[in-house]
Amino acid sequence: MLRVRGLTATYGEARVLQDVSLDVESGQVVTLVGRNGAGKTTLLRCLMGLHRSMEGTIELDDRDITRLSPHQRCRAGLGYVPDDRGIYASLNVEENLTLPPTVGPDAWSLEQVYEAFPVLADRRRQAGTHLSGGEQQMLSIARVLRMGSRLLLCDEPTEGLSPLLVQQIGDILRNVKAHGVTVLLIEQNVHFASTVADRHHLIAQGRLVESLDNAEVKEREHELLEYLGI
Amino acid sequence: MTTRLKAAGVAVTTLALCGTLAACGGAGGPSGGGGSISDDKIALGVITDLSGVYSELAGENAVAAVEMAVEDFKKEHGEDAITDKIEVTKADHQNKPEIANTAAREMYDRDGVDAIFDVPTSSAALAVATVANQNKKLYFNVGAATTELSGAQCNPYTYHYAYDTYMLANGTGKTVTEKGGKSWYIIYPDYAFGQDMNKSFTAAVEEAGGTIVKADPTPFPNDNFSTFMTKAPTLNPKPDVLGTMQAGGDLVNVVKQYNEFGLREKGVDLAVGLMFDTDIASIGVKPLAGTQFTTAWFWNLDDESREWADRFKEKTGVRPTFDQAANYSAATQYLEAIQRAETDKAEDVTKELDGYEFEDFFARNAKIRAEDHQVVHDAYLVQVKEEAEVEEDFDFTKLLETIPADEAFMSVEESACEMG
Amino acid sequence: MDGLLQQIFNGLVSGSFYALLALGLSVIFGMLGVVNFAHGAFYMLGAFGAFILLDSFGLSWWLALFVVPAVLGIVGMVLERTLVHRLVALDPLYNFLLTFGIALILQDLMRLRYGVQSQPFSRPELLDGSLNLGLFSYPKYQVFVLLFSIVISGLVWLVLTRTRVGMVVRAATERADLSQALGINVGRWVTPVFGFGIALAGLAGVLAAPMRAVNSSMGGDLIIVIFAVVVIGGLGSVFGSVTAGYVVGMLTAVGNFYLPALSQSLVFILMALVLLLRPAGLFGREEGVHA
Repeated sequence: MLRVRGLTATYGEARVLQDVSLDVESGQVVTLVGRNGAGKTTLLRCLMGLHRSMEGTIELDDRDITRLSPHQRCRAGLGYVPDDRGIYASLNVEENLTLPPTVGPDAWSLEQVYEAFPVLADRRRQAGTHLSGGEQQMLSIARVLRMGSRLLLCDEPTEGLSPLLVQQIGDILRNVKAHGVTVLLIEQNVHFASTVADRHHLIAQGRLVESLDNAEVKEREHELLEYLGI
Repeated sequence: MTTRLKAAGVAVTTLALCGTLAACGGAGGPSGGGGSISDDKIALGVITDLSGVYSELAGENAVAAVEMAVEDFKKEHGEDAITDKIEVTKADHQNKPEIANTAAREMYDRDGVDAIFDVPTSSAALAVATVANQNKKLYFNVGAATTELSGAQCNPYTYHYAYDTYMLANGTGKTVTEKGGKSWYIIYPDYAFGQDMNKSFTAAVEEAGGTIVKADPTPFPNDNFSTFMTKAPTLNPKPDVLGTMQAGGDLVNVVKQYNEFGLREKGVDLAVGLMFDTDIASIGVKPLAGTQFTTAWFWNLDDESREWADRFKEKTGVRPTFDQAANYSAATQYLEAIQRAETDKAEDVTKELDGYEFEDFFARNAKIRAEDHQVVHDAYLVQVKEEAEVEEDFDFTKLLETIPADEAFMSVEESACEMG
Repeated sequence: MDGLLQQIFNGLVSGSFYALLALGLSVIFGMLGVVNFAHGAFYMLGAFGAFILLDSFGLSWWLALFVVPAVLGIVGMVLERTLVHRLVALDPLYNFLLTFGIALILQDLMRLRYGVQSQPFSRPELLDGSLNLGLFSYPKYQVFVLLFSIVISGLVWLVLTRTRVGMVVRAATERADLSQALGINVGRWVTPVFGFGIALAGLAGVLAAPMRAVNSSMGGDLIIVIFAVVVIGGLGSVFGSVTAGYVVGMLTAVGNFYLPALSQSLVFILMALVLLLRPAGLFGREEGVHA
């Protein structure tokens, strides 16, 4: 579904990504694992078109989207859940949900969203940033579901959340996957990653160094944890 | 050596003039006395504001006034003129002392300028005065108002023409107080000129038996004076007069808002520290009608002034401000002094100038004081006309009172000047 | 007490100008990341627009109130399309310099044509005189300015909060990049928003003409204060900049009353305090105000 070839990205003089090639199959949940500063977030931003100084090609369903602007990529089916959740302070919860256009036939209705996330229904008139961290994370994910995006790009949705909330996010992601949506997920929590994902890509110093399946992750959990410094 | 150079110079000039004007008879060029002219020419430099806030009340037209003085001098003396090679150069100082300083140095050193004129903005004028003193070349201040120029910071090469804050305060402050405006609320822009004006007005009002209820500094520049307008009538005791020391655009703001808040109806009259005809044109006569202020001169003072103002208008298209008239007067007096001294050497010219008494369309009962180089002359307390009284363009003011020369300016005894 | 009340009223009136100007500056900054240094120049052009319409065409100030902002809005859109747009992708510094240059050019053009002296302009007759407000009487014209700016701010508020366009503008103003990633074609909105911001500056200028000196430098120093207002309100917060406009107006008026010597710096002291205590501004992104 998603094919990345030879992606190299720079920040000024610094190279943050080097010759990254990556495939994500339709319906899969794939994680990007790596230390802080390894280039994971930059990779997502490149895919979304937000990081402009890059080379290489990005294809979505065999269509080259490398030259498209972010809003065109969004309409092509990419749903972005940024690392800071991207909730607007000057929009209320419902506005945060309805701001983006619907881009696919599987777009959730507001009713579906509120049914799945009752807390958002209760607080629909409040400013988006008045929600708690976990609620904001749900809002951010709910937003891309309402758009009907086919490929979610989630930047560490579990960061800073309590175990209970992490579990909830896991449920949501499995639910999403069950709906046939593809997910590319940045995740530090290897254990959590192995409960939701099919494949895992290890990124180190801007390079994609290894691809593992769940069994391999389980086998090498200690080694990975040590490497990630957790 | 100098004579030979001069002769050559005269020949060249004469040839050039004959060539371009074809107006020379067989008599040859002018033949001055036996004096000496440096660089074989007299060079007058005008440092003024050519682009900023004072560029209309001084600016290009101040340069034009000096050029007019040169033309008139040549016409007046004809062949007897000490030289007919008189140049006028100009420089824009943007009202900044450091630029004025550089411009003055360049004029004296590079361009061979013998005397500098105008220089509005007090800090810039003081900078030029210092350069003049160092270079031992003359400077006639016209545009700046600070009393320092002929006071604590006076020097043998600097003359203070036209007006100063003492004159303005003494005229307006004293007269308005004596006529019943006993208590004053002063607002002044918070920089050198404003602070100087506040000091001078406070002294003048108190000397005339009045009191300053309050004096407030205001931001500069400022477009919103509503705070001060609402404050004025609530002060205790309620002031009779709002004294505004603002100039230019700020003054326009003050007057507009003074009228907005209907202070005249609330019994608070308006007295303006410094106002030029260009300001009245901006504000309009109606909102200012009845306002009193002191001026060094105005163009329709009398027939003699009007005659000159008409000639000025022919040349420039506009009516002169007192700054421009004073530049003409200063340049004329300078050239006449050279003619009398038969040299343009600064020390000899000052000998001619110091103590000199004269009369021209601008300066009446005028005397160039030797002690502090203040040029004293009659000043005028005037009033802005009612709209119905205005008969022509720029006919804004009528004379209330002539302030005699010896009262208009600070006396020599009061002056802090010690000429080194 | 009356004195203080009256000062607060004064502050609200001068705050009206700050609010209108800050509103425009804030939406432009939010959407383009450009501090429009030409904002003050367009305020000046607004005042001159009213003057020229009256002086050369005999059109009343009331008409200018609508015509001038409309014309300047179009000028703003052309400016955005032809110049600002080309530099948006580059370092923001380029647009700083561009708009700064435009401000100087506009100022000098007006100076060339009209000189440095202020142009005469009087109040519309209908608004001459004072209005008794119970506790004190106040110039009718200034009451009008206050009401008018409140109405305009209110209308803008309605459009921003009650329409889809408004929602998009709010989102794009707060985070242009993210809005792009969420499928909003921000570029499409940039031109009209730029024009709208300029139109508001022009409107403030028209309102200023009868009560302030109309000259080429009238907008020159304003941009610094307006920028401080926007920072105080919170960069990217439209509501913040309007509220901060009125707050700064009142603060300056009351400050002038009690501490005239400090009045020039009060707004910057407030800005420094706000930046220290709430770096995102009074209504900045972190807290946010409901729609």
